[in-house]
Amino acid sequence: MDPFSFAADFVQQHFLVPLLFRFDLMQWQESAYGWALFSVYGLAQVALTFAICMPLERWRPIERWPDGRAVMTDVLYTIIARAGLLPLVTFVGFYHAQAWFNGLLLDAGWLPPTLESMVPGLAGQPILAFIVYAIILDFADYWRHRFSHKVGWWYALHSLHHAQRQMTFWSDDRNHILDDLISALWFGVIALLIGISPFQFPLLVLLLRFIESLSHANVRLSFGSLGERLLISPRFHRAHHGVLAAGQRSCNYGAVLPWWDVMFGTADFARGFVRTGDPSAEEAMATGSYVAQQQAGLRRMSSMLRHRRERARQA
Amino acid sequence: MIEKAQYQLSRRAALTAAIGVAAISTPERPTFAAADQGLALVLNSASASFSVIDVASRKLIRTTPVLREPHHWALLPDQSALLVGDTSANTLFHLNPNTGEIVQRTPMSDPYQLWFGPGGRHLVVTALAVEHVDIYDGKTLQLLKRLRLPTMPSHISFAPDGNTVFVSLQSNGRLVGIDLRTLTTSWQVSVGKAPAGVFWHDHQVLVGIMGGDYVAVTDPANGREIRRVKTGRGAHNLFYAPDGQSIYVTNRVEGSVSLLNAATLDVVRTYNVPNGPDCIAFAPDGRLWVSMRWGGRVAVLDPKTGTHETIAVGRSPHGVFLTRSPTLPGAGRPAALSLSTA
Repeated sequence: MDPFSFAADFVQQHFLVPLLFRFDLMQWQESAYGWALFSVYGLAQVALTFAICMPLERWRPIERWPDGRAVMTDVLYTIIARAGLLPLVTFVGFYHAQAWFNGLLLDAGWLPPTLESMVPGLAGQPILAFIVYAIILDFADYWRHRFSHKVGWWYALHSLHHAQRQMTFWSDDRNHILDDLISALWFGVIALLIGISPFQFPLLVLLLRFIESLSHANVRLSFGSLGERLLISPRFHRAHHGVLAAGQRSCNYGAVLPWWDVMFGTADFARGFVRTGDPSAEEAMATGSYVAQQQAGLRRMSSMLRHRRERARQA
Repeated sequence: MIEKAQYQLSRRAALTAAIGVAAISTPERPTFAAADQGLALVLNSASASFSVIDVASRKLIRTTPVLREPHHWALLPDQSALLVGDTSANTLFHLNPNTGEIVQRTPMSDPYQLWFGPGGRHLVVTALAVEHVDIYDGKTLQLLKRLRLPTMPSHISFAPDGNTVFVSLQSNGRLVGIDLRTLTTSWQVSVGKAPAGVFWHDHQVLVGIMGGDYVAVTDPANGREIRRVKTGRGAHNLFYAPDGQSIYVTNRVEGSVSLLNAATLDVVRTYNVPNGPDCIAFAPDGRLWVSMRWGGRVAVLDPKTGTHETIAVGRSPHGVFLTRSPTLPGAGRPAALSLSTA
């Protein structure tokens, strides 16, 4: 048995089921198991990323900082995003959304689609089906990310991710909670349409999430001329976080595959290991506590919306 | 809109019927050579696969992928195919019941538990996530009625005359009786917290109370509780022993299997089977194959000694089917009341 399942079984058997039984919630035991798996994989992702990225950052750091307090906030973001409350909310929310959506379709006389029913050749080829699904998700993520820079109020939230001047592998999950919610909805719609459970291929998911974290690492690492056109490297993604790239005219939006940036003319392979941060963001977004950063994100978004309303009135 | 929906679903059901459900035979199990222990098929609900195990040697032969989330199975009335419900893929897999090979896939709405009623007149399918109960014509597999029950409909049992089906509703703690002549609900009453397995036994309906530690014995006429039989925390599913003289009850939270005297419903023995025991199938050698939902294993329990060994399968194993099982769990006592199992 794989160690993830063993850990999820242990959590389910010894903690979640007794709790559900105690609080008369046994009808949720199967959903609880899904959440246990989700959290175990999340923790495994954090452990794997830490084990590889930490030595890399010590070996060839791009920048050295007198203290790493700003980084500690990013650690908290990672724990919350990958193993804490967020997966629980997402999981329960998604379960209900899927049931509602499927019920709607079924009542209208249609069976909800699967990727394999749309592309029959993928049936019986689960690994191939999952790779196709992962490519579709990465494509969708490219456009989500591009829109988050294009739409003013959305970038006001997303700028929290860009405000970090001490960017490390922990920064991948540094997002405003509303930005996370929009992402969850974005991917939720795709998952509803063609979703494949990430639990079917935990190692592939682990690898994809690792590449995303590595791309934020404070490490002087490039994959070479050809490699950077196949997979996103720390050098390629750092250009996206550069101080000159913050805001609406950015580049290198991809998460795992740089193909979409090449295809849609937003790739920039020329920039080196630039300084990161968003000079237009208030200081609290860069160095504040978790709560202070969230509040600053909301302030920036409401200010952006207010200005937009005023401009509309004047026009 | 409803008519259109039913028509469209009926068309799909008709396609399903094309795989050949024409002949409805008696539910008796064929006899097999004593040395032939056959295969065990274990449905791995969180791994999107099923494990095929050689019963005699306990060796895993292969793991076959399905699509998303296989939970339960039902044997066609003529035993020509084993149907495996893949819930979130909205797909029914048709397997060769002797080899476990996939023969065909057909669409079906969120098939969680699926049972054929006595004589194969009806196929009833609960959709736990999407929350409805579908009633199909057992011979043509045409959808006759969809009953929306937004309360997590789960386990199923038929009255021996085939006129009533009983369904547990997990989220509101109720049991519902559905009249299969009028295709309407006759009654719906509270039976306990998170009711699970439903089991017709001697003019009574037994319900495993998963949120409690007992089996509720109810009156099939109205669902009212007659008495309680304490088994263990998380009482879940019920199965007749092959000789029909005993009933096994899995206790999900406690990690045990209770043996009840079928005549008195007294607990005569309790077996330790940890990690969320759920479904049971009976092997030709008399051993019980029990899925361990939170253990990634199936337990092979010797009811004489009370010892068990385990075999690694996929995540959250649920339904278990043995190709050479002398009985069909859920098929009634001792003559067949129902032609399928879960």
